[in-house]
Amino acid sequence: MKTIGEEPVYEVFARRVEGEPLRHVGCVAAPADALARVYARSIYDEESWLEMYVVPRRAIIPVESVRGEAVDAHV
Amino acid sequence: MAPVTDEQLVERIQQGHIIESPEEMTDDYRRTLIHILTVSADTEMISAPSYYTAARNVPSMNNLISALAIIQDELSHAHIGYRILQDLGVDTEALIYDRPPTQFKHPYAFDVPLRSWIELIVANAFYDRAGFVLLGDVYRNCSYGPWRRALAKVDKEENFHLRHGENGMRRLSATHRDEIQRAIDWMFPITVEWFGLPDHLKTHTKQIAYRLKGSTNDQLRQTWLRTAVPLCESLGFRVPAHYDRASDTYVLDYPLPVDFDEEERRWLMDRPITWDDVLTRWKRRGPGNAMFVEMLQRGRRQMRSLLAVH
Ligand SMILES: [Fe+2]
Ligand SMILES: [Fe+2]
Repeated sequence: MKTIGEEPVYEVFARRVEGEPLRHVGCVAAPADALARVYARSIYDEESWLEMYVVPRRAIIPVESVRGEAVDAHV
Repeated sequence: MAPVTDEQLVERIQQGHIIESPEEMTDDYRRTLIHILTVSADTEMISAPSYYTAARNVPSMNNLISALAIIQDELSHAHIGYRILQDLGVDTEALIYDRPPTQFKHPYAFDVPLRSWIELIVANAFYDRAGFVLLGDVYRNCSYGPWRRALAKVDKEENFHLRHGENGMRRLSATHRDEIQRAIDWMFPITVEWFGLPDHLKTHTKQIAYRLKGSTNDQLRQTWLRTAVPLCESLGFRVPAHYDRASDTYVLDYPLPVDFDEEERRWLMDRPITWDDVLTRWKRRGPGNAMFVEMLQRGRRQMRSLLAVH
């Protein structure tokens, strides 16, 4: 069992209607992609989203950013 | 990002700067943010076992479905708060699962168990309204971007919860009059107290200077009264507060704070106490505290010991 806080973080993006930009709606922590999808769907259920994506935070490469580097919490 | 002093940070925030990463914070800003986020996440979290305990007494399947939908929302809200705390370097595993019950930071109101479906309805109308008022203020003012954005969802759902309470009270006001009135009698003052020390005793200069909240305790209490009192009055229920035309404010009919009989769940309106007495009661925590925290922690403990054996 992973300790909470050690699990990888996924950023959640979603779009409500066609033509609207993908919007950052929050993040989840999950041990694997499949669970990240489940968590994102159940936690960010405030809209009936047309599209929703999870992206591992590790895969996000800063170009212009207030952050020095892409990081998971505690990693 | 060059390190800033506390004065420089406050000045930036006052000019409307939104903070996006821990690297931009001073130690004091980070500490203050962690405190207010912990109070918020704990409150969302503890509302789940509290509401769940009451939901076991619902009269119908439909009522159970709506109660469970609200509980699921609250767990999402808690998840969002703790997730943000992780990004601030907080060990949330220990925070949630190893903390003694008395160290949780939710308001005392949630430590007094709800005993019926009616009380759950009134909790939606009063407690979720308090959540809506407090978090709506953070949502509109907060200088920490990730929390502020996350609250778009929370704000929307708390509004739904309090409407659920209002509709329930309206629907049941004819058939369950006495029971609703009895719930209001102890739950109205406990929510009034929730907003904390009056402004002349406590100034949240730091939290307001950092724009982690936008309004004072008394302002937020007034915002709550402004909708809670008319709701009850429109349905013909008695509340210990009234509208004062001259000052255009809602005024309490009793001296805040007063003594509370935990066993009887009764406010002793003729027994004024000091805020130090209230803080002592809050720190001691209420009758449901240990049970509710145990409900949250038990499964994790079992899983840990299982893994330790194998
Ligand atoms: Fe909530
Ligand atoms: Fe709620």
